[in-house]
Amino acid sequence: MRRVLVVEDEKHLAEGLRFNLEAEGYSVTVCETGEEALQRLTVDRQIFDVLVLDVMLPGQDGFSVMTDLRQAGQFIPTLILTARGHSDDVLRGFGAGADDYLVKPFDLSILIARIHGLLRRREWLLTEEERAPAPSQIKDEYSFDGTSVQFDLLELRSRGEVFRLTLMEANVLRYLIRHENEPVSRKTMLDEVWGLHEDTDTRPIDNFIMRLRRYIEADPQHPRHLLTVRGVGYRFVAHPKGT
Amino acid sequence: MVVAGRQKSIAFFIALGAGLIFVTVLLYIGWVLLNWRTGILLFFGVVLALLIIAGVVLNTIFLVREIRRNEQHDAFINAVTHELKTPLASIRLYLETLQSRAVEEEKRKEFYRVMLEDSDRLLGTIEQVLRTGRVGPGSRKISRSRVDLNAVITDCVQRARMLHGLNGEQLRYRPTSPCTISGDLDEVRAAVSNLIDNAVKYSNGNVNVRVDVSETHRGRISVRVRDEGAGIGQSDLKRIFKRFYRVSGPLATRVKGTGLGLYIVRSVAKRHGGRAWAESEGPGRGSTFVLELPIAS
Repeated sequence: MRRVLVVEDEKHLAEGLRFNLEAEGYSVTVCETGEEALQRLTVDRQIFDVLVLDVMLPGQDGFSVMTDLRQAGQFIPTLILTARGHSDDVLRGFGAGADDYLVKPFDLSILIARIHGLLRRREWLLTEEERAPAPSQIKDEYSFDGTSVQFDLLELRSRGEVFRLTLMEANVLRYLIRHENEPVSRKTMLDEVWGLHEDTDTRPIDNFIMRLRRYIEADPQHPRHLLTVRGVGYRFVAHPKGT
Repeated sequence: MVVAGRQKSIAFFIALGAGLIFVTVLLYIGWVLLNWRTGILLFFGVVLALLIIAGVVLNTIFLVREIRRNEQHDAFINAVTHELKTPLASIRLYLETLQSRAVEEEKRKEFYRVMLEDSDRLLGTIEQVLRTGRVGPGSRKISRSRVDLNAVITDCVQRARMLHGLNGEQLRYRPTSPCTISGDLDEVRAAVSNLIDNAVKYSNGNVNVRVDVSETHRGRISVRVRDEGAGIGQSDLKRIFKRFYRVSGPLATRVKGTGLGLYIVRSVAKRHGGRAWAESEGPGRGSTFVLELPIAS
């Protein structure tokens, strides 16, 4: 799911944008100030695919946010969406590093088309390496050590038993399998699997892992495949040593 | 960028003025040294030199003021553009959403509410701009009638409570004995409403506004609107009543406005033979706005 960060202090507009972009299949995060956007994008390094930026914001204005982002090496595709349509303003926006500029009031379909355009450009420019399949596109069947998972049917067969997985359980497992042998942090999983970027409680992940262990592990108390990495998160090992 | 350009031109004109005065003084000293024996010429020389210096000073002051006024005018245009375009953009966005997407009944109702709020906001801005023209200098005389000030304030307080979602504790007003003034109902209401709205807007979320009405000794009645919000610096107490003037700094960017509200308040007060002023112990310490109007005879 593509993630859009909308920086807009006018609540009505922000909610209208959220509704429409979500209807287009994006995951949308709204923040009200430029400072918060900078924090998310440059300090927390949260991952977004497109930034929609207002100019007249409380505190730091959109132009200087744009400049700061680019100076910090954050090259996220950005559309400036503002009531200021004077050519000086437009030039200033592009000068600050914006990729596109749209003046309010705007045509909804044009806004969406422009966001699509920014995303398309970004994808064309991605290198092969970055274009790794999304979790949902990985092969739909996976077998390891006597266990087989059919992701399309949400079925897991292990030790002669068939378990029905929930969609989220399947997604978590798929993500861990895709990162086989790598430690994966709880925060990354929240971010990548759930698409949540806020400081959400990470404990629900532990519950998912506990359930998955019950399906996969012969002895859930002493897991061999879904290992805990202390202080980080979890690691999936398909073929543990010594078997 | 534009503002930086203005600062430069202000500095330039001040420097030019000072330079011209310096040259004039030098020439004048030369003149005195050459003509100190001929009394009448010396006299005219002094007068002429003083006139030239006064002219240069006046010219510089005038230019600098004009540049400042331009600056405020630009800020005003920006603010009004924002205040007009934002609700319009929002209404348009919601209309297009309703037109192009399947929206559940619940959401649909919410969208209608949002659009109504936005159109009210739009109307408010338009009214404010039009009223500025109506109450400014050289506009038509007011149409006087007997106005019950208590009723007007109660009306404004209730409207503000509804608009900003406040309870009776956050915005307090206890009507006093009946007081009638002679004036234009619409204008008085606009002035009181502006004062209350400002008090709420600049309260930084900690809304504790009190409206009091009291009779002063000179046959006048004063409406005091007190808040515990942002407060005002000494130097700004008078200037905030100027047209387009907004206190510079982060507050002005956070609280949206056109810079017309207090100008309207003061103009209305003047047109009614009263006055309006602000009191504050300084930034962060709240402020009190007073609107004083003559009681109807």
